Amino acid sequence: MKNFFKSIGNYFKEFATAIAKGDIGVKLSLVIMGAGYAARKQIINGIIMTLLEAVFVVMCVFYAAPNLAKFGTLGTVQFEQKFDPLTMTSTVNDYDNSFLILLNSIIALFIILAFILVYIGNIKTVYRLQLRKEAGKHINTFAEDVKSLFNQKFNITLLTLPCLGIILMNIIPILVLIAVAFTNYDQQHMPPNALFTWVGFKNFKQLFTNSTTVTFGYAFGKVLVWTLVWAFFATFTTFIGGILMAQFVNSKNTKLPKLWRTLFMVAIAVPQFVTLLLVRNFFGDSGIVNTICSNIGLTDFLKSIGLVGSHLTYIPFLTNPNWTKVMIILINIWVGVPYQMLIATGVLMNIPVDQLESARIDGANKFQIFWKITMPYILFIMGPSLITDFVKNINNFNVIYLLTQDVYVTSDQLLANSNAKEVDLLVTWLFRLTNEYYNYKIASVIGILVFIICAAFTLVTFTQMIKGNREEDFQ
Amino acid sequence: MKKKVLATLLATSMVAATLAGCGNSGSEAGGDTSAPAADNSADTAADTQTEAPADASGDSAAADSTASDDAVATLIANTTGPVALTVWASEEDQELTTTLLDNFKAQYSDVEFDITLGSESESTAKDTILTDVEAAADVFAFADDQINELVKAGALQEVVADYTYDVAGENVAGSVEAASIDGKLYAYPMTADNGYFMFYDASVFTEDDVQSLEKMIEVAKAADKKIAMDIANGWYLYSFFQGAGYELSLNEDGSNTCTWNADGATDVAQAIMDACETGVLVQMTDEQQATAIAEGTVAAAVNGTWRAETAEEAWGENYAAAKLPTINVGGKDCQMSSYSGCKLIGVNPHSANVGWAMLLAEYLTNEESQVARFEARGLGPSNIAASESEAVQANPAIAALGEQAAYATPQRVGNNFWAPAETLGQILASGNPDGTDLQTLLDTAVEGITAPVE
Repeated sequence: MKNFFKSIGNYFKEFATAIAKGDIGVKLSLVIMGAGYAARKQIINGIIMTLLEAVFVVMCVFYAAPNLAKFGTLGTVQFEQKFDPLTMTSTVNDYDNSFLILLNSIIALFIILAFILVYIGNIKTVYRLQLRKEAGKHINTFAEDVKSLFNQKFNITLLTLPCLGIILMNIIPILVLIAVAFTNYDQQHMPPNALFTWVGFKNFKQLFTNSTTVTFGYAFGKVLVWTLVWAFFATFTTFIGGILMAQFVNSKNTKLPKLWRTLFMVAIAVPQFVTLLLVRNFFGDSGIVNTICSNIGLTDFLKSIGLVGSHLTYIPFLTNPNWTKVMIILINIWVGVPYQMLIATGVLMNIPVDQLESARIDGANKFQIFWKITMPYILFIMGPSLITDFVKNINNFNVIYLLTQDVYVTSDQLLANSNAKEVDLLVTWLFRLTNEYYNYKIASVIGILVFIICAAFTLVTFTQMIKGNREEDFQ
Repeated sequence: MKKKVLATLLATSMVAATLAGCGNSGSEAGGDTSAPAADNSADTAADTQTEAPADASGDSAAADSTASDDAVATLIANTTGPVALTVWASEEDQELTTTLLDNFKAQYSDVEFDITLGSESESTAKDTILTDVEAAADVFAFADDQINELVKAGALQEVVADYTYDVAGENVAGSVEAASIDGKLYAYPMTADNGYFMFYDASVFTEDDVQSLEKMIEVAKAADKKIAMDIANGWYLYSFFQGAGYELSLNEDGSNTCTWNADGATDVAQAIMDACETGVLVQMTDEQQATAIAEGTVAAAVNGTWRAETAEEAWGENYAAAKLPTINVGGKDCQMSSYSGCKLIGVNPHSANVGWAMLLAEYLTNEESQVARFEARGLGPSNIAASESEAVQANPAIAALGEQAAYATPQRVGNNFWAPAETLGQILASGNPDGTDLQTLLDTAVEGITAPVE
């Protein structure tokens, strides 16, 4: 942390030195960015920099300024349209589109920030050129500069494209999402026909308040608890199941190990939504499993021990909250184990044989070997992937949504009033809010909270895991 | 000699150039003369145009047909280059729509069209359109329950004038009402068969039995059959409460007004629970009903035309349809109400060719097209003339819908209704397992239904 602030301090210090000690060329670069290069006879560099500056100024005037001017209000001119029945054409006024203003403003701010960095970097480079000149060192020609991009600085060339991609595809959308959380963007305020505007922390407050009519706070708490419970069980059941399966398939006593392994892989090859939708029908209230259960008398037995309500004629596999939660976790085991088995197989194949041998010679039985050597080894190798699995399960949309959508109806009225269900994860709730109710503002708030939860969890566990030199511990 | 040849060559080429110049100016002049002509027609149209909005209200369609024709003529004259339009119709409607589109193109053969047909179910059109209104199709089919949100999002062009037929006058009043908000027409009615009614097995019930739910339950119990209804669905649950006179309506701001917890409403809840308690009236979703009807366990179901075919196949000659029965609420027989449903065609106001989009929407919903739609797919027409034809009248499902229409209302309800109503229906259908006080149950539901919308 200290280093971080120090390097920021240094960054600005260098900039200040450059301005203070620079000659006329450097100082002129403050206004015309190419001047410093021109003074060192790097004409092409100078032209490129000056052009860049010109483009930036044009961008500011025609793109950034008009958008940023409306950034504070997100637009004031409401959409209006007039249809002329005579010519059968419509005329539209010059309206403000809040969403485009928000998006363009964020992009503009991004470009401005990038330009400031380039600008500071430029002054420093120019000052460095001055120093080189004073020291009588060689100053690169343009051709040499270009060449260096393919030699010493090849990493910069290679990283440019992915970085641009990440900024465009990830960072800007995330910033927009964060911004939306502070607006009233919902079905009542949908561009282009309506405007939306900033509301501060109102949406966050709404999520955590629990009045009688707005039950978001209640729903959020319930959904969050179930999300964590689910992520925990989903991760560990499939993890342990996968290791045991791999252990069995790889055991020397197993015949035809390749056949079994392939069979489990087939389960992966079938798209998840196909299997899940089929399973959902199997376990429906009048599905095939229920027919079998009532034929063999299981339904009546469960009724008699009180696991199934007396008024029911079927087992509510996917319609009763508790049954559904258990079923979801069980079905997930079945869907998720093959993946874990695949990974565990790879790890098991690389386990140091000498350790196993020596343990056996020392008289350890199979269980001892498994718990004392195999498991720690697997945990060590697969620890990081276990954490990512946990985070993935927090956001495991497929299993929950496909198994419960259109089938599960909540009987908790307070949850229903917030469009949530007992079996919802934060993501599925979020999806329903955006996709069916267009409540973008609250969905953004939930999105931010999911992000914080996942990020915090990942950071904490990763630092715990990397702390100290665990590799030597293991050896 | 050589010079002379060169001179003549030059001279001819110059003459040619001037001639060409003449040709150009000639055609320009032609263009100029045609333009005022178009203006003139627009002017004459303007004179009669005051009547055009009145056109929508349905009188003297013939009188201003000239104005409409002139407007179309102007539109054709002003159209240069191909007209690009996107049309969304449901998956099942693709074949028919393709034919209709071809006919439309043939009708306006002077204009070059570039029409793309996309597939989008009427029941989910709203979801796709509201994601990005500007990117949505120019002409799209949708179910009337979405009209309120679509209008609010500015996704529907108001029908301020019609050009080829009288939209408001030639369609049944119910469908025009369903296509209007605050008295303004926003879409073109396409079918009038999207509501629900009851179909039954005539070998189990007589025509008298199906008049009351209590009688039906008695008969079905004796025959060991069930009556299916998707009670855990606000759309169907509405029929009980509305039938008993409790109100549910949409406010200006998108929230709901609901009196389902008023004095005596617990009787409705009790009546639903009692009916379910018998084990005869069962909660089944649409898909479950399909299986159950085919298996023969269900002898009557409250559902729509989309499921009628399944019933017809299962019951054969005994397939019959009727309006919903009455239900006994607190000692009084109440006729169950329902949501009437229509499929409508809307025009996107953001369309670049809004005029052509309107003409196409008119074409897709005119009498001829509606008859074709009934013949090809059995969909009940909203056009008065088309719906009075013998073939349509002979269809039991459509006849039953007609019977139910007297008790049906168009669906005008805000988004906050669905989830609480679904849960309320689920609790009532499963016999209130937690034993919550019925008044509390209704109070909580109404609280959710009437929750404020910002």
